[in-house]
Amino acid sequence: MQSHPFKHSWVPYIFVAPQIIIILIFFLWPAGQAVQQSFYREDAFGLSSEFVGFLNYAEVLDDPEYTSTVLFTLLFSALVTVFSIALSLLLAVQANQVIRGADTYKTLLMWAYAIAPPAAGLIGGLLFSPLVGDLYQLLNNIGFDFNHNRNSSDAIFVVVLIAVWKQLSINFIFFLSGLQSVPNSVLEAARIDCPGAIKRFWTITFPLLAPTTFFLLVINTTYAFFETFGIIDLTTKGGPGGSTTTLVYKIYQDGFLGADFGGSSAQSVMLMVFVVVLTVFQFKFIDKKVHY
Amino acid sequence: MKTTFLKAIAVAGLTASSIAAHAVTELTFWHAMAGRNGEMVTTIVNQFNESQSEYRLTAINKGGYEDTMTAGIAAFRARNAPHIIQVFDAGAATIINAKGAVYPVQDLLEDSGAAFDKNDYLSGVRYFYADSDGKMIGMPFNSSTPLLYYNKEALKKAGIAEPPATWEEFETIAPKLKAAGYTALSQSHSPWIFSENFHSRHNLPMATGNNGYDTTDVKILYNNDALKMHWSKVKDWLDEGYYGYYGRNWGDNQDAFVQGKVAMWLGSSGSFGNLKQTTDFEFGTTFLPYWSNLIDEPKSTFIGGAALFSFSGHSKDEYKGVAEFFKFLTSPETQLLWHKETGYVAITNAAYDLAQKTNLYKEMPDAEVGMLQLSQESGEWSKGYRLGYYVQIRESLFKNYERLLSGQTSVDSAFHAIEQESNRLLRRFNATYK
Amino acid sequence: MQVKTVINKKRLQALFRHSVLISGALFLVMPLWIALMSSTHSPEALFREGLQFLPGSYGYETYSQILMGSDLLSAPAWRMLLNSLILGLGFAIGKVIISMIAAYALVYFRFPLAVPLFWMIFMTLLLPLEVRIIPSYEVVAKLNLLNSYTGLIVPLIASATGTFFFRQFYRSVPAELLEAARIDGAGPLRFFIDILIPLSTTMMAAIFIIMFVAGWNQYLWPLLMTTDPEYYSIVIGIRQVFQTLNEGGTLPQFNIAFGLTVLATIPPVLVVVIFQKMFVKGLVETEK
Repeated sequence: MQSHPFKHSWVPYIFVAPQIIIILIFFLWPAGQAVQQSFYREDAFGLSSEFVGFLNYAEVLDDPEYTSTVLFTLLFSALVTVFSIALSLLLAVQANQVIRGADTYKTLLMWAYAIAPPAAGLIGGLLFSPLVGDLYQLLNNIGFDFNHNRNSSDAIFVVVLIAVWKQLSINFIFFLSGLQSVPNSVLEAARIDCPGAIKRFWTITFPLLAPTTFFLLVINTTYAFFETFGIIDLTTKGGPGGSTTTLVYKIYQDGFLGADFGGSSAQSVMLMVFVVVLTVFQFKFIDKKVHY
Repeated sequence: MKTTFLKAIAVAGLTASSIAAHAVTELTFWHAMAGRNGEMVTTIVNQFNESQSEYRLTAINKGGYEDTMTAGIAAFRARNAPHIIQVFDAGAATIINAKGAVYPVQDLLEDSGAAFDKNDYLSGVRYFYADSDGKMIGMPFNSSTPLLYYNKEALKKAGIAEPPATWEEFETIAPKLKAAGYTALSQSHSPWIFSENFHSRHNLPMATGNNGYDTTDVKILYNNDALKMHWSKVKDWLDEGYYGYYGRNWGDNQDAFVQGKVAMWLGSSGSFGNLKQTTDFEFGTTFLPYWSNLIDEPKSTFIGGAALFSFSGHSKDEYKGVAEFFKFLTSPETQLLWHKETGYVAITNAAYDLAQKTNLYKEMPDAEVGMLQLSQESGEWSKGYRLGYYVQIRESLFKNYERLLSGQTSVDSAFHAIEQESNRLLRRFNATYK
Repeated sequence: MQVKTVINKKRLQALFRHSVLISGALFLVMPLWIALMSSTHSPEALFREGLQFLPGSYGYETYSQILMGSDLLSAPAWRMLLNSLILGLGFAIGKVIISMIAAYALVYFRFPLAVPLFWMIFMTLLLPLEVRIIPSYEVVAKLNLLNSYTGLIVPLIASATGTFFFRQFYRSVPAELLEAARIDGAGPLRFFIDILIPLSTTMMAAIFIIMFVAGWNQYLWPLLMTTDPEYYSIVIGIRQVFQTLNEGGTLPQFNIAFGLTVLATIPPVLVVVIFQKMFVKGLVETEK
């Protein structure tokens, strides 16, 4: 890393100014308002408001629905993270070892990165739709009483599946390049020391992929928290019985649809605190990795 | 004859305005009508624009009811509100209780010199969007009422002569329909049909404080034996295969009826026009069934649907244009067109008369069923309701009914949860909008 | 004998590998395939017979309705595609330029406010737009930017992910380069333009692609912030069609919904597939 070589009075300010101006106007100002709103009780139209201290927070925490939303969000991100990481690791390991068709496989496995979450949600939702969905038919024909509009476990299955589907590609890309950057000499040595392929993977290759895996854990958790909004909005809308409502979706429902700004701002601030913890964690890790 | 006259006026107006270089006043109207109903909104707005030259109204679809309302709220806070916004029944309390957010329709019409008589409106329509003194705050727009649609072929196949008038009758015919290969019933909106209108039909209060009209300091009364009995029956029907739940989306359940999986479907009187286009079987329309062990003579249902509100903060001239549009909208001709094309009820007595005079109901007897149901004797509790954060309360109803139907929870605990959550929300609303 | 078992084992292994990869590829591709095929069937056929796996003969009708305008959509899809393109490009270009220069200032200069400014930029990563969306709307409205491309794009740039990507990248540039440039007497501007920019082309391209896809796929912000159909993006179109499907009424136009989804998906997918190498390199760089 450079030791800040240029000393100049105004050039750095000019360079950093556009970013800072945008942040001041479009980030700090609205974020400050969100924090402020969380301490007020205000009608939807902003015509009357009253300072209520931490009351909004207390009411959110006192709401049993909020607790179940927190639990679902944690379960959901755990499921999405574990399944998408495990599946993509399996695929990346295989793709790294085939020769014939390697490029075709790569392309076929990575394109889904570019699909918009609402698009994924729409397609996935219709595949399971009781009216026209082929997968709905299939599952019911083989004896499941499947209906993701009625049974929460089915709904959780559907949103997790779609979320994993959309996330596989990006994990695959990272794992594959992680695998490709393992030096050949290491692999050669490993082949001699450790003849069993599976054992070799777990003792040699996987530890080398650990930083990538850890990085992906963070990325996937953030994804499950925030970017799955479009998927949920176009499949279950948080139902049935509120069983697929994530924290972000609840903020949207309460603030956006329900016009309860104080309550939803309080939820936003609490979510922000969580993200701060997560990001600090991530940053420590990234900085460490750059220096090794 | 009339149209030529209007056109002549329009042409004259156009020429006059181009000579005087008179600026046209632009008005915006945000609505939530999609599909066929959305087309009709466009048609009516275009007709209005052609009928005069001083105002130009632009109608914009803002998504579903909730989306439209949120967009309106955000725009109002940003001092960028549209002139007219469509707000649905569940959102009425939020907009009416926010003092100063809207220009009450009655004042708006009277201030702009338009003749206004509350008694021009059907009795069921008059009060739903009015304040506690009976002043009309919103202009009822797409008003509908829950009705039972039945597949005539299916009933015939099962050897059933008449659609059920009561739920007791339903229970006797449901097994026959099942034997004929049908799911007997589905419905499209459990808060609206199986909660709110359940109360007006059986003349039961939904909430304290005169269903919320008198004060915001209210408690919900959903945790009552009648409604609990009804839902434990619904759960039994589901388990027996008499009742189908295809999801909380309106279309999911309607489509199951159109596909012929379900023999009877509870929907809105506003669904009539669309069903006519989509079904490939003959269907009939009848009143919303009731429990004869709860009431001998059922009362009329709530009006439901949505109303048009005019946001405050616009200029006098613009409000004049809004008043002009409301006048145009409530004219018997426009109402008749809307009623005929969409199946939403006509909201004025004059329009109802016109419909009868033009023999509309002879050609389409089904179109009158909703009107007749709304004209049934109204009970003490069929005027309407005014409950805060009702969008979230409906969310809680949906949620707990889904839990009940999937067997995750018992009827008692579902209604206990509904009561707790609703009262929590109502308390919050009362503290915010006092 | 032994050789043969080794070969057999290898063959089995290869068979296993290919079947895993083929199932993975099918898993990813099938949903889009069904969407594409179903979009070529009439709404009646889909409604009565379910989704389709093979091409039908209704494709022309579906796509001409979508592109030229349909009752279901407030704007024709070509207009929405154009808006998405503007959103994607504007977002990507804006983000690359702004974050490049900001990162340059942070990595290569020592100035009094550097540390507080760094933390300020860092903070933007902590609070996604989703959780501050209504105040953001109010700010944009106060600035009179509703229904404008500026209002659509600039608030999205406030999150400084790009700055961090570039910061990481600059920090991996060897210090010798800078020393050499200094010996040649190059000032900060010359160093940036003559050395750093040429060095960063792959990185710029990669971030450009990532940001283009991210911009194209934006959902919640355009949904709230555009009230004029002239500014609707294609992803908003998907939501609009979905809304109509849910509300029931007319026969559900599944073909339109699928067709629109296919149209919304193809451009970003093509970008990613065509610039695959560059994009992968960039993505992986950002991890470091």
